[in-house]
Amino acid sequence: MSRPMNDDEVLNELNKMVAFIKQEAMEKAREIKVKADEEFAIEKAKLVKQEQQAIDAQYEKKLKSAEISQKIAQSTLTNKSRLKLLHRREEHLQDLFNVAREQLLNLSKDEGRYVQFLEGVIIQGYLQILEPSVTIHSRKSDVEVAKTAAGSAASQYKEISGRDVKFEVQGSLSDDLAGGVKLVSGSGRITLDNTLDERLRLLEERMLPEIRQDLFGPNENRKFFT
Amino acid sequence: MSAQQSQGIQTLLEAEKEAAKIVQQARQYRVQKLKDAHSEASKEIEEYKKAKEAEFKAFEASHAGTTSEAQAAVDKDTEVKLKSITDQYNKNKEAVVQKLLDRVVLVKPELHRNLKKAQS
Repeated sequence: MSRPMNDDEVLNELNKMVAFIKQEAMEKAREIKVKADEEFAIEKAKLVKQEQQAIDAQYEKKLKSAEISQKIAQSTLTNKSRLKLLHRREEHLQDLFNVAREQLLNLSKDEGRYVQFLEGVIIQGYLQILEPSVTIHSRKSDVEVAKTAAGSAASQYKEISGRDVKFEVQGSLSDDLAGGVKLVSGSGRITLDNTLDERLRLLEERMLPEIRQDLFGPNENRKFFT
Repeated sequence: MSAQQSQGIQTLLEAEKEAAKIVQQARQYRVQKLKDAHSEASKEIEEYKKAKEAEFKAFEASHAGTTSEAQAAVDKDTEVKLKSITDQYNKNKEAVVQKLLDRVVLVKPELHRNLKKAQS
């Protein structure tokens, strides 16, 4: 039937075409919207994840540094405590030495022992200096006993070393000292301090490990001993 | 006949215009959605950050507590040790002083080991 269309048919066709055009548009619009929603979700997730990672890293660092400062604080506490303990021991040690120094003054009062002591230190002095002539400096109050002691010391010196010594006693040391003697060689070049005070001082230094052990017990932290 | 034709074409042209409008709206929707992605992401990120900050602050608060506890514990321990040091000292003091004094007067005169007794 290829006759030309009448008015109704034309209208019908037009409407169909219009509807078609609209339909196409709607579908295209829907596609665009769906795609837009997808992209929205992806983009948002990407942005959020990115920032979240950065934030996490930041807080991780903060946490770490907080932990470290806590450890440092703890270590400082322990250190302070140890220092307090050492300080206390040192105080006691000084107290001990002071007591010893005071009691040192009593030694010269026991005459018998003191003379024997003087003899001993004078012989020791002779044997160290090994010179033919020696000047012995004693306390003013000790001059007489020193003379006796030096004499018998000289003969014992001859016994031990086969050598002679000529000595002279001078009371040049102060009576405030605890006792003992100083020996000076004939030429005045060699001095040997064998006074009670000096001997005690040397002992204070050298006996420290022993003193520590006697006073406070052995050190549990030590691993090596000579 | 030609009036009818141009009317038909007019209708179609208008339909096309409508269609274009619809598609354009969809495109605008897309653009808006992209902007929304940014702003919504920012919001979520802010919230996350706040949550993390709160978490961290809680940790700090608990830590401050443990520090002062630790201090007190260490101090107490130190006091005990200090006392024990003094007690030990007082117990052993006399003996050590005596040892020192005894050793001060202890003399052992000896000839140097490299020397021999001189024959006269």
